[in-house]
Amino acid sequence: MRKNKAMIFWFCLPALLSLVLMFVYPVCRTVLMSFFQVESVTATMADWSFYGLGNYTKIFGSASFMISMRNMLLIWFVGGIFTLAIAMLMAVTVTSGIRGKKFFRAAIYMPNIISAVALATMWIQYIFNYDYGLLNEIVQFLGGDKVKWLGTDLKFWAMTGSFIFGSVGYYMLIYISGIEGIPQDLYEAATIDGASKVHQFTHITLPLLKGVMKTSVTFWSINATTFYLWSKMFSPIDTESSTIVPVIYLYDIVFGGKGITKRDAGAGAAVGVVLTLIIIVVYLITERLFRGSDLEY
Amino acid sequence: MNKINWKREARLLPGYLIVGVWVVFTAVMLFWIVGASFSTSREIFSGQIFKFESGFHFENYITAWNAQNVSVFFANSLLYSVISCVGVLAISAPAAYVLSRWEFTGGKTLRIGLVTAMSVPVIMVIMPIYSLSVQWGIKGRVLLVILYILLRVPYTTIYLLDFFSTLSRTYEEAAYLDGCSGPKTFLKIMLPLVQPAIITVTIFNFMSVWNEFFMALIFTSSESMAPVGVGLLNIINSMKYTGQYGGMFAAVIIVFLPTFLLYIFMSEKIIAGVTGGGVKG
Repeated sequence: MRKNKAMIFWFCLPALLSLVLMFVYPVCRTVLMSFFQVESVTATMADWSFYGLGNYTKIFGSASFMISMRNMLLIWFVGGIFTLAIAMLMAVTVTSGIRGKKFFRAAIYMPNIISAVALATMWIQYIFNYDYGLLNEIVQFLGGDKVKWLGTDLKFWAMTGSFIFGSVGYYMLIYISGIEGIPQDLYEAATIDGASKVHQFTHITLPLLKGVMKTSVTFWSINATTFYLWSKMFSPIDTESSTIVPVIYLYDIVFGGKGITKRDAGAGAAVGVVLTLIIIVVYLITERLFRGSDLEY
Repeated sequence: MNKINWKREARLLPGYLIVGVWVVFTAVMLFWIVGASFSTSREIFSGQIFKFESGFHFENYITAWNAQNVSVFFANSLLYSVISCVGVLAISAPAAYVLSRWEFTGGKTLRIGLVTAMSVPVIMVIMPIYSLSVQWGIKGRVLLVILYILLRVPYTTIYLLDFFSTLSRTYEEAAYLDGCSGPKTFLKIMLPLVQPAIITVTIFNFMSVWNEFFMALIFTSSESMAPVGVGLLNIINSMKYTGQYGGMFAAVIIVFLPTFLLYIFMSEKIIAGVTGGGVKG
């Protein structure tokens, strides 16, 4: 086929410009900005003054940033274990030969396609509601006293729990696609050899799912570090220490929020860089942990 | 119809319980919200929503739609989603086509750049974009539409690229022999061939823009240009003053419906698309 250079150029140009404008230039500028003292996000480069690692020492010295990091790590670790474990359980169950597989798969994935704002509202205004919420109905039915799910003590876990509910479906789909890629005859051979279902799961399914596990851990890390919307929904007006996460902290110091006297875009950029570094480090670690997982059947 | 093998089904019972409980919980939540959206605040608080003693309160929807501005948010979201879906195709489809067809200088770099961009966190780009938009004087609806288009370019291009590479080159060779120019071949022959991929990727782009929240929160300066997500947050925040619980739940349903309906009719296609593109073991 003839190579039409002009066509290649003009066909690629818009995509190339989008990439540079939306990703390459902004990422470079954010990284650069994190080493400068910049007050307003709209300040021109002429108004930046070099600050070295000053922004980084500033954010790591800030109590609210450290609390937000602690919250984020809890979401990443505890939320991650629950989400991925429940997703795996659902994936194994859905593919175990039950009837209505397509229905269950679609129903469990459903929370992922609706607006997260609407989903969070359902949880906050119904499930966790003190007066008429589902959880308190159940608690009362079991003879207990109503619980303040959205009080300071439980709010963080209420938020994490509902976030887990909203995330499970996506990871389930990833696991299902992995499980369906495993040749069926492996299980048949194992059954003939007398291996139980549990044995088959731990000795065939899990080892062969290394590749998709790697993918799911990476995706979860990106989701957990950039966690934002659920925190905003659980503390819609003022930032609270029980639900603060790094992106909320970033938003407040860059665009203004409660208790912020002086905006600091440089520190905001440093928060962004720290979060990106966390994602990269987790990615590299999982790559190493799950090495040698590219299987051919 | 297969005869039900009861022994086999009984062995699967724990499995049915696991997925059953999860799905029933989801269903209870949705039904309750629908019920509440037709009830009064008093009925909601006294736990009487499914009795409808005071009748069906359709006016909750009218309140939400008019007084609480859901019509404005809805129209905005529709506008943003539709225009960005079309815009992103105009940028991504040509690039995906030539990237899948020819090796050329910078082609590989562009491809790697697009794949990398898919996992760049939005927080790394918003600050420079904010300052650029102020500098260039672009704001409001135009700004949001441009941002949504640019944001979806990497994913759309890579998704379409995979599909273009599966097409045989004989189509183009035949077209070339018939004297059809490159761009014309692309528009008249190749683009219609990837129509299924275009539909899938457009559904994803639509849902993604419809549900987008972070950029909308930062870049919408007034309520008149807010999409549904930000609008719903505003409604909830003003709940304290209005006390319109029924209206709020009606607003939730209105925001929830478009993507939910799309899902009801296209769930197979959507589910296949989730794991078909970038996710590989």
